[in-house]
Amino acid sequence: MKLPAVPSRGAMALMAAALLCLLAWPNARHGLEASMTLHMLVQYPLLALAGYLLAAALPRHWTARLHPWNAHGISGLFAAALMLAILMIPRVLDLALVDGRIETLKYLALLACGAAIRLSWRPAGLLVQGFFLGNVLPMMAVVGNLYETSPLRVCNAYLLDDQVQLGQMLVWVAAATAAAWFAWLVRALMQRDAAAMAPDEGATKPAAR
Amino acid sequence: MFRTALLSAMLALAAYAAAAWLTHDFQVWTAEGARRLEVALQPVPSPAVEVDGPGIGPQALSQYLADGQSVTLVDFVYTRCQTVCLAMGSSFQQLQRALREGGGKVKLLSISFDGSHDTPGVLQAYAARLSADPPLWRFVRMPDPQATQRLLADFQVVVVPDGRGDFEHNAALLVVDQKGRLVRIFDYAEQQLALDYARHLAGAAAPSP
Repeated sequence: MKLPAVPSRGAMALMAAALLCLLAWPNARHGLEASMTLHMLVQYPLLALAGYLLAAALPRHWTARLHPWNAHGISGLFAAALMLAILMIPRVLDLALVDGRIETLKYLALLACGAAIRLSWRPAGLLVQGFFLGNVLPMMAVVGNLYETSPLRVCNAYLLDDQVQLGQMLVWVAAATAAAWFAWLVRALMQRDAAAMAPDEGATKPAAR
Repeated sequence: MFRTALLSAMLALAAYAAAAWLTHDFQVWTAEGARRLEVALQPVPSPAVEVDGPGIGPQALSQYLADGQSVTLVDFVYTRCQTVCLAMGSSFQQLQRALREGGGKVKLLSISFDGSHDTPGVLQAYAARLSADPPLWRFVRMPDPQATQRLLADFQVVVVPDGRGDFEHNAALLVVDQKGRLVRIFDYAEQQLALDYARHLAGAAAPSP
C-alpha cells in the first residue's frame, strides 16, 4: 500500500486543528514565548503553517468564490506582507505577552497569513511571487539587522543576547529563503524553456528566436 | 481585477490604521517607547501598596510620594544586582550631589522589587555603601510580593531573570509629582534632563511666599 503524495483534505484539516490546539495550549504557548527567538522563529511560522493547512483543507468551491477578489494572488500576498510587517514591530511581541486581545489578534493574523499564502502562491505566478518576496525578505533582513545591532533591548520582556540571536537568524532565514526561491525560479524557467523547445523537435515550423 | 484592487486598497488602509494605533502615530516602535509616551500623556497614580525601609515605617507608597511638597525621582533596584543597578547607583549618587548643592523640593527614592531579600536592614547596608544621605535619598521595598507585582504592573516595569542569577529590567528614572503621580520617564542617560524637569515641577507648584 502506498501513501498518497498529497494528504487528503480531511487529513490536512486534522493536522491544522492538532497544530493549533498544541500552539494554543498554555504550556506550549508560554514555553515558546519565553524566548524572543522561539516566539518569532518557531511560534510565528507554526501558526502560519496551521493557517496554510486550514486553507488547504477548505472545499474547492469555497476557495473558488475568493478568486475574483484575489486575481493573480495579489490581495492575498499583499495582505500577508502587510501582516508580517506589522507583526515584526517589537511592541507587538511585548503586548502579546501582557494583553490577551493582542495575543488573540496575533494568532488570527498569523493563521490568516498562512492561509493567504496557500490560497495565493500558485495563482501569483513568478512575477507576483518575486515582488512579494522582494518586499518581505529585505524587510525581514533589515529588522533582523536592527535587532542584531541595537545596543538597547527593543522588548522589555526579552534579554539582549536573545534579541541578537533572533536578529542574526532573521537575516539568515531571509537569505536562505531568497536563495531557495531563486533556485526554484531558475529550475522553473529552465523547465519552461525545455517545454517550449520540445514540440519544435518534431515540427517543421522553425522555433521563434 | 477591480475587486482585487479594491480589496488591496482596503487592506492597505486597515494595515495603516493598525500600525498607526500600534506605534502611536509612528512615534514609538517598542513597548518601552509606548510606556514613556503614555505616561507623559496620561500620568499614572502610584498605587497604595505598603512599603517599608530604613527610616520609613510601614505606610502606603502613594501616601509617601504624595506629600504635597516634593517631587520624587524614583528608580527600581535590587541589592544583589551587579550590572545595571551599579550604573543606576552612580547615577543617583550624582543626582544626590547635585541636589546637595541646591535641592529645591526634589528627593530620591530607590524601590527594591526583590522584597523578600531586601529587608530594611539589607537596604540600610546598601544605602550606606552608596553613601546615601537619608533626607535626600531613601530606600523602600514592598514586604508583600503581590504588592510588588501590583506596583510593577502599574508603572509597567518588566523584570526578567537573566538565568545567571541577575534580573534584567527596563531601568529608567521615573519622575513622580507632588500628588504621587508618575508623570514622566527618562532614560538614565538623561539624568540632567530628569533633574531639571523635576526641579521645574517642584518650582512651579511651590507655594508663593
